Amino acid sequence: MINKFLKGLTTAVALGAFAFAAVPAQADVLDDIKERGVLRVGVKADYKPYGFRDTSGAIIGIEPDLAQDVADKLGVAVEFIPVVSSNRMQFLEQGKVDLMIATMTDKPDRRKVVSIVDPNYYSSGTNILAAKSFGFTAWEDLRGKPVCGIQGAFYNKKTGRDFGANIVAFKGTAEAYAALQAGNCVGFVYDDSSIIASLAQPQWSDYEMPLPTIDDAPWGLAVKLGEEGFNTLMSEMIVEWHKSGRILELETKWGVENTPFATAMNAKYQ
Amino acid sequence: MEAIYEWFRLLYDNTGINLPFIYDSYDRGRMISGFFMTVKLSVLCLVLSVIIGMAGAWLQNSPLKWTRRIVNGYIQLFRNTPPLVQLYFFYFAIGTMLPKVTNDWGGQEPILGGFAWAVISLSFFAGAYNVEIFRSGLEAVPDSTVEAAEALGFSRFHIYKDITLPLAIRVALPALNNNLVNLVKTTTLAYAIAVPEMLYEANQIWSDNVNVTEMMVFMLLVYFVLVGVLVWGMNRWERALKIPGFGA
Amino acid sequence: MNKTNPKIMPVMMAPRARATDPIRLKAWHGAALAAFVVLVSIPAFAQADGARDSVFTALARWMPLLLKGFIFNVVISISAMAIGTLAGAALGLGQISLSSWVRKTSWFVTQFFRNAPWLVLLFFAMFLLPFELRIGGIIIPLPDYLKAIIGLSLPVMANVSEIVRGAVVSLPSGQWEAAESLAFTRTQVLWRIILPQCVKRMLPPWMNLYSILTMATVLASIVGVSEVMTLTGQVLAAEGGRTDLLLPIYSTVLLMFFIYCYPIARLTLRLEKKFAVKT
Repeated sequence: MINKFLKGLTTAVALGAFAFAAVPAQADVLDDIKERGVLRVGVKADYKPYGFRDTSGAIIGIEPDLAQDVADKLGVAVEFIPVVSSNRMQFLEQGKVDLMIATMTDKPDRRKVVSIVDPNYYSSGTNILAAKSFGFTAWEDLRGKPVCGIQGAFYNKKTGRDFGANIVAFKGTAEAYAALQAGNCVGFVYDDSSIIASLAQPQWSDYEMPLPTIDDAPWGLAVKLGEEGFNTLMSEMIVEWHKSGRILELETKWGVENTPFATAMNAKYQ
Repeated sequence: MEAIYEWFRLLYDNTGINLPFIYDSYDRGRMISGFFMTVKLSVLCLVLSVIIGMAGAWLQNSPLKWTRRIVNGYIQLFRNTPPLVQLYFFYFAIGTMLPKVTNDWGGQEPILGGFAWAVISLSFFAGAYNVEIFRSGLEAVPDSTVEAAEALGFSRFHIYKDITLPLAIRVALPALNNNLVNLVKTTTLAYAIAVPEMLYEANQIWSDNVNVTEMMVFMLLVYFVLVGVLVWGMNRWERALKIPGFGA
Repeated sequence: MNKTNPKIMPVMMAPRARATDPIRLKAWHGAALAAFVVLVSIPAFAQADGARDSVFTALARWMPLLLKGFIFNVVISISAMAIGTLAGAALGLGQISLSSWVRKTSWFVTQFFRNAPWLVLLFFAMFLLPFELRIGGIIIPLPDYLKAIIGLSLPVMANVSEIVRGAVVSLPSGQWEAAESLAFTRTQVLWRIILPQCVKRMLPPWMNLYSILTMATVLASIVGVSEVMTLTGQVLAAEGGRTDLLLPIYSTVLLMFFIYCYPIARLTLRLEKKFAVKT
């Protein structure tokens, strides 16, 4: 009886919500880009070396370089729109960016919201940056302790829920690094690739990446849901990047050690 | 209870209206703790900022030139810079310079954490406005009242505490009311230094579930209720303090 | 507001400090703040070694970018103020309309936007407005700074509405009655008699509101607009998490706002005093 009532109520609300639901546009974004002459790409601007600013304010890094390749292929100019983890999917959904190359981990629930392109272009896992003096060895060691993170990162929930850490999430990496150095948290949960890049710098000499990397997951670049044409084109581009060793070349250019994923993908497509 | 949770889950499956802070126990826990954090932050800042306002208004009338200058400098500095930048300045710049204490797990942590800095920073921000509000209230107290008290041999502090301040509060209440409502709304800024208040938790939830719209509408409703409760309480206080023939 | 009773007997009084004038503060405050920035940078300057350059060089290198960001804040504040004032004036007049339906709706809208946190309204505008509007065949793009302007102009609108209503209500009702007895229509009374007198009363709170709005523009950083706070975070990221830069860089941002907002605050106070005598 109660179930029947609940179902009826749900249907009523569903009908109401349907009236508000937007009808997605079916136009091909590729035509729009060519007509506009500009490809708008959402990239990170606080994620050295994948996307960051130079002194003139321009956004540079590995991902902006990849975006430039796409624009060159389409024969249009490129415009970088800085995104953060907590707004990047919304920007793509709204159509504010045509393409998102913003260090986003490929997750099944994200595939429901945006159209992630196969194969994956990059990969990283989750680890923490922590002072050597703590001597952490397992994720469970974090239980009950404050751990810095980035707002909108998927592993916050896991670190908080499964390992019992007390997540202290900031808007950007600068705030998180500063809070870590100040001792506001015992570690910074982040992508291992970026942590390795940080550890190469002198100010992090007393820090380490002590835990086993978890969730080694590929990064997905994404287009808006339903943009099949663009998705196919990007898929060909990614295969080309792996085949030609472009990703490896960019890693070297921006001072990152060649990652196992990029090396393996390069070998696979040879 | 379970039936209600189940209904909201069904609502999501059927309509896409996603309210995980009702049906998901982890998100529900986050939301509830965020709500209480906001309440705690608001109450502490309200009390502290009113104390700062009263003390500041007293010091502003000090016979010492430099005391007055410092109070005025404080007011101008806090009124003419963004509270968000103040918060960053306190937390990241001042916070890292203070001595550290050893915590339970052997690490060195700053003596004041995010919550403490949020309380300090927001109280001083609202306090700067409160000083001005109390000052204008003090100016409304007739000079003859103060003179009468002086003739009766009251000390300067006694006159302030027992005569001018109680009268000034009554005049200042409407403006104070307004400023305190602003303060409750400003507590959302604590989000930027990762104090797990309501907006912060809402952001965590919408990051995990991609349901910005629902969370935003919910946030607005909760803040209306909070502000409404405060306004109601302040109005009651105003009525309780009312002296016939004094104040508006 | 000082009410002195002339009939009171003069009595011997202990010397009492006059209520100090809060605009007594002079330009030396800015100078003191600048000196403070320099002072706090000195220890960091001393630490600078060969591997990374001094705080001063780093700050100087990023200064043009930060200033560009700050100008963007000013642009956002002016635009949001313009939109908010126009909409708010209309809403404020709606609040004193003769039609009770218009009056109630305007009151509700005003209260709604006045009582919502600015940050929440900004999130609303950011995530819920479309990225472009299609009206007929014309496409109007809505870049995120425009959304931030809209998001910030909503609370401005509500506050201006209250300022307008408050100013009109504050005029003695005799003004209305006198004008009506001279056979002015309601519109004429409003536009020719009431509103011109209100402008003076509205100016100080309006400027105060502008100051508050300017300081609220940094909230746009939380939703990702490239204004000065966003850039500050990105500069710190590009410098690779140097903690010695934190204090000087945040002091610089504070200083920028102080230099811009303080003269406005002084002017507001002066106007307040000037107009207070006449009315």
